[in-house]
Amino acid sequence: MPFETATSTKASAIRPGALARIDIGGARIAVANVDGVFYAFDDACTHEQCSLAEGDLEGAKVICACHGAEFDVRTGDVLAPPATEPLRVYPVRVADDILHIEV
Amino acid sequence: MAPAFVIVGASLAGASAAITLRKAGVAGSVTLIGAEPEAPYERPPLSKAYLRGQASFDSALVRVPAFYAEHGIATVLGTAASRIDTDRRFVELVDGRRFPFDSLLLATGTRVRQLTTSGASLQGIHSLRTVADANRIRAEMSPGRRAVVVGMGFIGSEVAASLRQDGLDVTAIEPSKTPLYRVFGETVGRRIAELHRVHGVRTVFEDTVESFDGDQRVAAVVTKNGRRFGCDFVVAGIGVEPAVGFLDGSGIHTDNGIVVDEYCRTNLEGIYAAGDVANHYHPVFKRRIRVEHWQNAMRQGAAAAHNMLGEPVIYDDIPWFWSDQYDWNLQYAGFHRSWDQLVVRGQPDGNSFLACYLNDSRIDAAIAVNRGLDLRRVIRLIKARQPVDPRRIADESTDLRQIAA
Repeated sequence: MPFETATSTKASAIRPGALARIDIGGARIAVANVDGVFYAFDDACTHEQCSLAEGDLEGAKVICACHGAEFDVRTGDVLAPPATEPLRVYPVRVADDILHIEV
Repeated sequence: MAPAFVIVGASLAGASAAITLRKAGVAGSVTLIGAEPEAPYERPPLSKAYLRGQASFDSALVRVPAFYAEHGIATVLGTAASRIDTDRRFVELVDGRRFPFDSLLLATGTRVRQLTTSGASLQGIHSLRTVADANRIRAEMSPGRRAVVVGMGFIGSEVAASLRQDGLDVTAIEPSKTPLYRVFGETVGRRIAELHRVHGVRTVFEDTVESFDGDQRVAAVVTKNGRRFGCDFVVAGIGVEPAVGFLDGSGIHTDNGIVVDEYCRTNLEGIYAAGDVANHYHPVFKRRIRVEHWQNAMRQGAAAAHNMLGEPVIYDDIPWFWSDQYDWNLQYAGFHRSWDQLVVRGQPDGNSFLACYLNDSRIDAAIAVNRGLDLRRVIRLIKARQPVDPRRIADESTDLRQIAA
């Protein structure tokens, strides 16, 4: 059953338009700040596992720096190949500037 | 009567065009004809993850095989086209079947250049273009076996890396001073050579194969400089040429591939070309270029389909590709043959840098080593064709997004 984890990451440390990587247990999670709203998803691109937190964020679109695959960070949907599998996304809540992610 | 769209080449470019035609809701038939027996697939994994058994063939498919019939795309696989009758407007296959067309796309790609060296017909000498080729090489791969890779272009370099990563003993022979010398020049080429040496490839530059020795199977490679390398098998990556033989006598203009304009149109009405086979007029570089890479196949195939539908689309994407070798992600964007200035951001002797090839202060192309983000940002500058200040490109504190395009 999924449970919520209070991360050690402050929401204010991730600026609008920025990406960050957070490790929760053994899981590599990426967080995107889209105009003040936070979205969490698997950091590993579904194409060849490059870190998406090291990619580019354009609006709600994350672009993998290795091979150019694009995903919608809100839904995990593939927007451009070479990825074909969607990303897993996770609910995020901010309380007292701390990111809580339900993994 | 509804028009017949025929695509010769069940390649990424061909499949991308067929899918685009159907997505656009076109009335009429769409027929995809291919020489290989498999449904269209992507070739980048063949020299990397697929070769190493880390990715399945299914993961390389453009779409699952059932997709085509479900979407009204007739596939005719395993049979090559033998000629095009451009007057009576049909494609004829090697088995004699004929497919009339109203609109035709040629996306036959390339075929590998054949070795003409003495002993080249011995068993155990492979090239790599198709999944069948990759399967033959895979069958040779086990740790400790000795491989000679002939040619260190992209395919040779990637194969050498994959073989080393799987624990084979690898010797690579390349006529130039470095791998990928013609495209990247000496500064970057030397760095790639070092990468391969660090990973244990025995590299031999400025030398070529004189002969392959062996009884039935290749047992050794002898070079012009007189060196001899015992081996269990050979992979040759000596380049490809456009697959245009079937166009002889068709009246379709060829010159380093099928000559097309910025709309992917050949010299004949209603006949188009896209992908590796197309020598396309690129409006950004103001010249014809033929690109043998994944993005071009996918995107140009789609652009050609729009033009076939009478929705004019100029194809002007900046060519871009990647080449993963060991833990390096190399990417290239743009087009260049020569340069008057090489501007490097980062340390070219390190594991992360961007090298930009400039002419008249404009960036024509760039290669990134483990710097995909920088490369993405430079593509905009390549497309803009505006002079840039090389000091700002080289200055790591400059955000490349802030440079005017």
